[in-house]
Amino acid sequence: MASLRTTSWLLASSRAVFRPQIARRSMATVTGNATATTQIKSAATVSTVEEPAPGKDAQIKTFQIYRWNPDTPSEKPHMQSYTLDLNKTGPMMLDALIRIKNEVDPTLTFRRSCREGICGSCAMNIDGVNTLACLCRIPTDTNKQSKIYPLPHTYVVKDIVPDLTHFYKQYKSVKPYLQHDTPAPNGKEYLQSKEERKKLDGLYECILCACCSTSCPSYWWNSEEYLGPALLLQSYRWIADSRDEKKEERKAALDNSMSVYRCHTILNCSRTCPKGLNPGLAIAEIKKELAL
Amino acid sequence: MASFVRPALLRQSKACLSIAFSRTISTSLSTASKSIARPATRSNILKLAIPGSTRVAALHASARRSLLPVLPQSIDGTANDAAPVPETNPSHGSYHWTFERALSVGLVPLTIAPFAAGSLNPGMDALLCATILIHSHIGFDALITDYLPNRRVPKTKKTFDWGLRLATILVGVGFYEFETNDVGVTEAIRRIWTA
Repeated sequence: MASLRTTSWLLASSRAVFRPQIARRSMATVTGNATATTQIKSAATVSTVEEPAPGKDAQIKTFQIYRWNPDTPSEKPHMQSYTLDLNKTGPMMLDALIRIKNEVDPTLTFRRSCREGICGSCAMNIDGVNTLACLCRIPTDTNKQSKIYPLPHTYVVKDIVPDLTHFYKQYKSVKPYLQHDTPAPNGKEYLQSKEERKKLDGLYECILCACCSTSCPSYWWNSEEYLGPALLLQSYRWIADSRDEKKEERKAALDNSMSVYRCHTILNCSRTCPKGLNPGLAIAEIKKELAL
Repeated sequence: MASFVRPALLRQSKACLSIAFSRTISTSLSTASKSIARPATRSNILKLAIPGSTRVAALHASARRSLLPVLPQSIDGTANDAAPVPETNPSHGSYHWTFERALSVGLVPLTIAPFAAGSLNPGMDALLCATILIHSHIGFDALITDYLPNRRVPKTKKTFDWGLRLATILVGVGFYEFETNDVGVTEAIRRIWTA
């Protein structure tokens, strides 16, 4: 198709000089026959095609979505329901949300970016589980409604957009970068053995979607001081890094009653992580490092 | 070009012509590009979705009892400042945790030993009492730290802290009395068990 398209485009451009203005092709139009004169009909003469009624095999599913508008702060947040035909929707929750925003209600607000689980923007609470909308399949059971909330215990900016300012401030406080004072042995780069690199597997994949932190009851109650699973996983990622020279400083920063030890091994974090990581294990490793 | 890569939307464009024309927001575009560049502003699910099913449900169905209501959001410093790092305090951090775990692990043999050995040693009994006492104290202390944040309710936290210390001393005195003037914990449990 692409090659056909290119050739026709080249041909059309070569003839464009000899064509009258009305037949010339602009970038946004797709016309079947380049030589035919196209006439723009006015709205009144175009017959309206009736929208098809849902067929017998239509899978109509109801989505209940948390709505709150900061422009009307006195209004309570409410759940608004939308219906979609699953046959015409992509398989993932994010497809449904995008379709609702495109075709039903443009005021619906949510974050999304990569639609493939690598950016962590579309983290939300879907059917009671914190997950990424782009990695969450729509349950095909049309009898049950799907409920979509923002991440629990977050300040809401609008609809399902949470405010993660404090989360990012805490991320900054764990110094998520390589701290190395002495020059590299070969003057170029800090080398690492394969075994040392292997220790970082399961840690470096974290995309900071905040699903785990906002599923942790300890983080709900003490988010101001407790770092939460996501950032403890990040802390451990730098403690475990063989190239980092500030291991003791990093450990000292965690050695107080609030930063780590509000973790009571509830393990909601490991259960909910949409990337299949294990923040609970990382916290256990931190506790082990600190203990002995 | 966008319409070429989204053929599904293009197919619906004919059905949506009238809707697209009636929209006022795209007045700056030419009529030709309007009908094709914005093909599926609202498609056939529009009529299905909006009138019938858009309804508003109350979010809070039950009465709210706000024990510790959420305060308005406050950010210390700018969004680019790191959150403050607490001071290093191992006696409330790692030492505390290690001691607590050692105590918990020690409790397992301490509870089993007197019954398995079948002997009544007042020293072991006293050790068991003391361990249980400190273990419970640490447990309740964690509860208070979790649910009574110092920055929100400093006075209540202080009250509860001292209440806990008082209770621990009271229980300690009670254990002492029970051990010296009565049969002791192990013997009491054995009697209740076989009663």
